[in-house]
Amino acid sequence: MTTTETQNVKAHASKPNVLDMFVAGARRGFTIGTTNMLPNVIMAFVIIKALNVTGLLKLFGVIFQPVMGLWGLPGEAVTVLVSAFLSMGGGVGAAAGLFTSGILGRSDITILMPAIYLIGSLVQYLGRCLGTAEVNTRYYVPIIVICIINALLAMWVMKVLVAFF
Amino acid sequence: MEEKGKSSEESVKWYSYVALIFAIVFFSGIFATSKEWWSVFDFTVLNGTFGTLSVVGAKAMTFRGAGGSGGRDGFLFALSLLPAVILALGVVSVVEGLGGLKAAQKLMTPLLKPLLGIPGICGLGMIASFQSTDAGAGMAKELYQENMITDDEKTVFCMFQISADGTITNYFSSGVALFSILLTPIIVPFIVMMIFKIFGANLLRIYIKYVNKKEQQAIKSGE
Repeated sequence: MTTTETQNVKAHASKPNVLDMFVAGARRGFTIGTTNMLPNVIMAFVIIKALNVTGLLKLFGVIFQPVMGLWGLPGEAVTVLVSAFLSMGGGVGAAAGLFTSGILGRSDITILMPAIYLIGSLVQYLGRCLGTAEVNTRYYVPIIVICIINALLAMWVMKVLVAFF
Repeated sequence: MEEKGKSSEESVKWYSYVALIFAIVFFSGIFATSKEWWSVFDFTVLNGTFGTLSVVGAKAMTFRGAGGSGGRDGFLFALSLLPAVILALGVVSVVEGLGGLKAAQKLMTPLLKPLLGIPGICGLGMIASFQSTDAGAGMAKELYQENMITDDEKTVFCMFQISADGTITNYFSSGVALFSILLTPIIVPFIVMMIFKIFGANLLRIYIKYVNKKEQQAIKSGE
């Protein structure tokens, strides 16, 4: 174990009490919520609005209907997956925006939920995960492909599971 | 290595397991619709509800209103989610502080070899990656530099991490936005993500095996 890790473990052990732990986590939640979630959600809502105003959303809906139809989803659902690829918060925001405008229903959102994360923020994580860990670059493409496979299969699994609830 | 095993065992107390079980129950939503006192052990119940604004003759609604769109609607929507994110990460922090994640690590460690083909020593990095993308990746690199894992094992470990990375932190912050819309208990998509993280890592494991075999054959035929 490295010294930094040992220090971390010791710091955890000497954490004062449950209330302090809660407040520390809550503070982190506030920071993540305001500096990460909120800007991402606004970005996604603005993108959905722009797509709506220009009529592109309808067009996406028509073009991607055959593909997204494989999971019983409307074609517009593709915007959720594309935004998720850029950032998880964006994917969630897009899903919420499409739900608010009545394009996606509750079961559509449930089907998309794990997929949003399984391909979530890949653009960033290539650097933050694979780059940091110095993974051989020849595996980058297979890793991205597998993430997409994960997401697409998870949508089918969720489609089956939704039927039970 | 042994020292590491010992130190992590020492810090797992009985209440660490209680904290872990509490976390699973709390976020599972199994008590969400219960009318009994034990509904206190549920995330959605404790998160509560916003008060409603009502105008005579109109439907009651929350401060977000209805019919909004674009950035302004996005802002109010995000604002309405903040309490849930704060509560969720507050509870995660308590569970972590009481050793709940260490308990999960201890339970997971013997499973790493059969499930992912990576040594049990990756347990700490795995739990770290559930909380922070950067911490998980950093630990994977460190394990490799200290010769605890091979380059191929590191690649498989990173495959496990990158799909739905920072799982707990991300799911319980941004994911909260969709919790009330989900038809399944909130733990169901979480379990599906975990299963596919393992599935994806094994796909890459097979691929690496295939690539290595092909390379060896190429070397042999070269001779």
